[in-house]
Formats: sequence, structure tokens, C-alpha cells
Amino acid sequence: MKHYAIFTLFVLLFPVSLESQDSRQRNADTNQPAPSFSLITNERLLNSDAEPQNWLMYSGNYFSQRYSGLDQINNENAAELELQWAFQLRALDRAETTPVVVDGVMYVTESPSNVIALDAKTGSQYWRYNHNLPEDLNFCCGRNNRGIAVLGDKLYMSTLDAHLISLDAKTGSVLWDVEVADEAAGYSKTAAPLVVGDKIITGIAGGEFGIRGFVDAYDAQNGKRLWRLYTIPGPEHPDNKSWSGDSWRTGGSPTWMTGSYDPELNLVYWGTGNPGPDWNGDVRLGDNLYSDAVLAINPDTGELKWYFQFTPHDIHDWDSTQIPILADSEFGGQSRKLMLWPNRNAFFYVLDRETGEFLLGKPYARQTWAKGLDEKGRPIRIPGTSPSVEGTTVSPSIGGGTNWFSPSYSPRTDLLYVMAYDGETTYYIREDEYIAGERFTGGGGVTPLPAATYASAVRAISPQTGDLEWEYPVQPRSTAGVLSTAGDLVFSGTIDGFFFALDGNTGEERWHINLGSRVHAGPMSYMVDGRQYVAIAAGNVLFTFAVKE
Amino acid sequence: MLRKALHAGIIGLLINGMIGSVPALSGQEQDNPYNTGQDIQSGEQLFGRNCSRCHGLEAGGGERGPNLRTGEFQHASTDAGLFAVISDGIPNTEMVGVGRNRSEQSIWQLVAYLRSLNSEVRVEVAGNPSIGEELYGGKGDCSSCHMIDAEGGRHGPDLSTIGDRRSPDELLSDLLTPNARVQQRWWTMRVVHQDGTEVEGLRMNEGTYSVRILDAEDNLWSFLKRDLRQSERTETSSMPAYGESFTSGELEDLVAYLYGLSRGIR
Repeated sequence: MKHYAIFTLFVLLFPVSLESQDSRQRNADTNQPAPSFSLITNERLLNSDAEPQNWLMYSGNYFSQRYSGLDQINNENAAELELQWAFQLRALDRAETTPVVVDGVMYVTESPSNVIALDAKTGSQYWRYNHNLPEDLNFCCGRNNRGIAVLGDKLYMSTLDAHLISLDAKTGSVLWDVEVADEAAGYSKTAAPLVVGDKIITGIAGGEFGIRGFVDAYDAQNGKRLWRLYTIPGPEHPDNKSWSGDSWRTGGSPTWMTGSYDPELNLVYWGTGNPGPDWNGDVRLGDNLYSDAVLAINPDTGELKWYFQFTPHDIHDWDSTQIPILADSEFGGQSRKLMLWPNRNAFFYVLDRETGEFLLGKPYARQTWAKGLDEKGRPIRIPGTSPSVEGTTVSPSIGGGTNWFSPSYSPRTDLLYVMAYDGETTYYIREDEYIAGERFTGGGGVTPLPAATYASAVRAISPQTGDLEWEYPVQPRSTAGVLSTAGDLVFSGTIDGFFFALDGNTGEERWHINLGSRVHAGPMSYMVDGRQYVAIAAGNVLFTFAVKE
Repeated sequence: MLRKALHAGIIGLLINGMIGSVPALSGQEQDNPYNTGQDIQSGEQLFGRNCSRCHGLEAGGGERGPNLRTGEFQHASTDAGLFAVISDGIPNTEMVGVGRNRSEQSIWQLVAYLRSLNSEVRVEVAGNPSIGEELYGGKGDCSSCHMIDAEGGRHGPDLSTIGDRRSPDELLSDLLTPNARVQQRWWTMRVVHQDGTEVEGLRMNEGTYSVRILDAEDNLWSFLKRDLRQSERTETSSMPAYGESFTSGELEDLVAYLYGLSRGIR
């Protein structure tokens, strides 16, 4: 209801001028042309839902709901969506980026670590920043970059060589560039940072290289590191005993996606990845804290308030680096501060985000590894599902029931939308020796049957029950994120290049288009000059759509 | 003579042939798109790994390859020509191309490194850089338009590593005749919107249908040309010429300061 109220206010303040052919942002009071981009204050970030024309951070808002308050595109007119402009990224790598839009300026990242500032209405360029990388970089899973963060008139971006940089939002000039970790040891960075107050919070990738993961905070003004929270506690901490011997030193637990923030509780939530080596758990006995967990962190100090581990002693590479979705909703007859988490291990979790208490957990995708979850949310493993020398076939697949691509939550429908995959993998174990900068995985996996055997689906899940409300099957499969909107639409895409819109209440398809290449990014929505757009990267092109004028 | 002319002709053919094989190039005018201080640094690393065995550790020449620090290249004169030689090699010589194994970016970075060596032959300058720094921030008011290490204005090129790209003579010439060499990014534009709104500022980017401007208050604007009543473009620099307001001694000091803005020195 809160969102309804805000949107009504917005409509009153910003009369929607569908007939406008003007090229410019318009001043809301005078209707005169207005410049693009104005300073992003903490107030604006905290109240991002009050300006749905903008998309101010990777997941849309601090609750990471990937929900747009715009409803100009809705179930009545989605069939009239048509291409407005496309922007060709120079890199051949598939794009995983979500653009950020500030008052008519769109910031889109390009593989490996470049940024382009565009006019969000026309796709025409203001400036471009090309980041230079060392040769022979060590990284796991593609030359990816997923987006920027913005505060004041500065942008913040992770780079593949494990640096954090700040750029002038108006010209792309480099303001500072700091090394977060040593790329030669297998550390890299691909995710959009998160701005909290005057800090830039950011994680690290490298879980396949025997790194020791952490979450860092940097001073937004000068890039000075303010705190570091290791995701594997050192020997001084009792939880270090959850690792046998010295295995904690190379235990992975990376933090390669973006977290969320609850300003009221002043807690930042960040998912952690797989323990290392990925598939050989024999060399790291114990629960391997805090791998495959969500951490609740005080952003002022970096202090860990609580954690919840989804997959203790993971041996299948089921990172818990999904985007933490925060939602205020009913649960058990009360209004609760919830965290909704469809995990890579194929279970959907509902947690109390104030305390980390486990409230509910149910499978949302095909799984054959656990009988279920106990009353504390700990999985009850089925014997014989561990990786083996001869191979053990288990669901979900290495890619998981879902993965890094964002789910979405609509406060209007009170449903969580996730791209789920009902796959399987034959998992193998092998001995591996840790060598700094080289892969340290202890095994691997193959898909036992032709890929067409398996399929994905957009699934709408009730936070109250964990039950499936509807599903939209996707063939052959999908690695795309999901957007929901106040127009009660759900957008996502497919691995064979389709982008589609569904009715968020029923899952019924409203529109689709073939973009010619894999949709492997999250959609977002914004408005310029009274017109709503939806943007999605497919292959290495960014496409934007609006309803026919 | 005949021998020399023939040689030049063969080289011309060679280079032209090579350029034809680089899809992104449009003739010899292609500017190096990877020409920042960081590019030069990456180029240096690449050089050390791929080229130094023949051309010497710092490109000063080795047993098999010539000195590349002189600024004169036997088989290419432009950046595009250098790109082609590095990418494809020189037939019938020991110079093999690296193109098959390296990205275009890497090759451009090698070009940037080789170019930097010419200007990197550091020369003595007469001026006093400390006085130059005072002039930069004071009398010259340079920082209102130029950025150095994130401090300064947005209305001129970032000068953080200008000493790596411009020689003292070139810097002096830039100060005396700023209009002699103005990149399009620093042209200015004045437009009047059909409703009367007037915007003037740096022309950040312009296409067939639209133009983007950074005005004096650092506001970003984007206009469709069809919405403009009037549009004027000024292809000269907004930087003043310093020949009259500065003494020759002050110019020397300012050049000394700017020349010292180098990745290597700072």
C-alpha cells in the first residue's frame, strides 16, 4: 500500500505527458527543459521509491526488490511494447550489466571494466571510460561487470583486476583507483558496489582460487579502506574451528554479488559463496563458516551481527551469493521484517532479518540432495549424494536452482519471482593442491543428459507459505534476472534470446520479442520526460523498450 | 637513389596492405584509442614480455632488433602503421606479428608505449616547477578548467599525466596558441531550444540527430536537434592564450610544472 501512495504522489507531481515529443528532461514545476543528472544524496538513495523515474542502484532500491514503481507499461498495453534504441557494447563477452539511471543519464558497464554514460532517452553517448587491465588475469567465470553505484557526483565500480575505482559522473575522469586485493592470487571483482552513508561497501570474487573472502567498506571521498570483515573467521574466533586444520586459509567464501541494506535496522546483508576447494570437502571438514551464508553486518563498524548458513559444508558449489531480497510483509499473522532467499541449493528460505531466525524453507526447484530442512533450517542430507570419483548425479546442477541473476519481489502482489532451473549434474571429486593464483576446485561436474532434457521456469512464490502461485516454463533454459513493476508485469528472458513480459498476478504472457542473443542480465525500468522504458542487455547489446506512442 | 625509392615503395605497399587487414582502422589517420598513462604502463609490460628479447629491455635495441626509442621507425610513421607492424610483423624479417595472440587493445597499448618513449626522453627544462604550480592555481587559474588527480574543473582535458604525452616545446605551444590543436571534445556549442531555453557549453558529443553539452555550471544536457531553434558551434578552444598575460619566465615555470606531471615521476 505504501508504494501505491508514493506512486500516486509521483503521478500528481509529474504529469505524464505521453504526447510529448520533446528530447529533454522537463522541470516538474515549470515544464521547462531541465539538465540531466543532479546530485545523488543519501536521502535520495534512502527514498529511491519516491523517484521511480530513476534506477539509482544495481537492484533498484536498498531492499533489492528489483521492483519499479512505474505503471505506465502495464497488462493493458504491454503487447504494444516496441524497441526505442539499442546500444552496441564493444566487448564480445555476454553482458551481465544492469544500467543505473539518474535524471535522464544512463550508466552502463561494459566487459571487462568499462563505463559508458548515455542519454537514457536516445542511447546517445556523453562519455566513455575504458579501464586497462593487466594481461593474463586470473578469473573464474567470464570477463564480467554488472554495474556501478552512485553517490554525489561520483560513480563507483569494481574492476576485473580487483580494484575499486571512482569516476566523475559528468565526465568519466578517474577520481581514485585502489587495489582491493591481489589479482595475481586469483582475486577479482565483478559486482556493483553498494553505497551506505559515506561508505562504499563491496565484495570480492575468486572462490575457485582458494582465496579468503571478505566484505570491505571504503571512504567514498578518497577510497581509503575503513573496515574489512573476513567471511572466514581467523583462529582467534571460535567459528574458525568449523574448518579442519589450516583449510580456512584457502577456504574461498567469496562475496561476488551485491548486498542489501535495511536503514531502520542499520544492517547490510551480504551473501557468501562456496567453500574452497569447491567439490572436495574431505580436505576442509566441518561446517566451513561463513561460506554459503548470509551475513548481517553493521555498516558503521563491519561487525557481524548475525549469520545464517544455508548449506553447511557445501560440496556442490552452491554459492549463496544471491541478491538478498528484503520485504516487509505478513508472516504468521504478524507484520514482519523478512528476508526472502531462493537459494542456489534449490530451497526457498524466509528469514527474520532482524535476528536471522529461520521462519520457513521449501524446495522451489528440483532437488535430490536433502530430505528437507530441520527446525533451524539446516538441510538434512540424503546419504550418497556427495561427489565421487566415479561421479554422483544430483539435483540441482552446479549452476543451481537459481544463481546470481536477480529475483524480484513486488509489494503489490506480495509475490517473489525467481528464475528457477530444474537441472542436474554428475559431480566428481579429485585431489587438488593449492597453488596461489591457480584454480583450486577439487573436482567438477558434467551434465549427464542432453541440455534440452532440462528446463527453467519463472516461479512466483508466496513468502507466507513458500508455495508456488504460478509458473511460466522457459525452454531450453534461462540465466536471466527478473523485474517486477507497479504495472503488475514481470519481465525476464531466455538463453536463446527472447525477452518477455508476464502478468505478475497470473504468469500469463503479455509480450515477447527475439533479441537474437542470450539474455544473461537483469531487466530494469526508468522514465524520461514522462515516458516509461524497460531496458535489458542481450548478448552484448543493450535494448530499451517503451509502448508505442 | 633507385634502391632507396624502391625500398620506400615496397614499404608503402607493405604498410597499406597491413592496414587493410585491421578492420577497425580507417586509413592512416586512425588515432590510438588506448593512449592513457595506464595504457602506456600496460604497453610497457607487454613490451617486456613480448618484444624485449629482440629489442632490448627498454627498447634501446638488442642483438636482433633495432632501437625503438628514437621516434623514427623504419617501417611505419603513423600509429596505424605501428599497429600494423606489431600486429602482423614484417614479412621476410625476424619481426613476427603478435596479432594472432593479442587483442587490439594490447597492440594499441604497445603503440602507446613506443610513442611514449620518444617524449619520455626526459629533457632538462629551465623553469621552476614550484613557481609553475603556484601560477597554475593562481594567476593562470588553470584549475578552474583542468583536473589534476581529481582536483579541478571539468572544462578542459585532465592534466594528471600530461608530461607523459606532451614535450616541453609542445606544452609551450599549447599555452601560446591553444587554438592550434583543439580536439572535438573541447569545442563549444550554444543552442536555443524551441521554447527559448538557451544552453552554452562544451560539446561533449554530437551525432546526426542529437547533441550533448556540459554547461558552465557543470550541468549535463542532451538535445534532439529537431527541438532546437538555433545551434552554433565554436571550433576553437575556450582556453586563453597565455603569451600576453605571462612573461616568458612565467611560461617556462608553468611548462616545467606541467612537464613534471608524469606517471613516472609522481
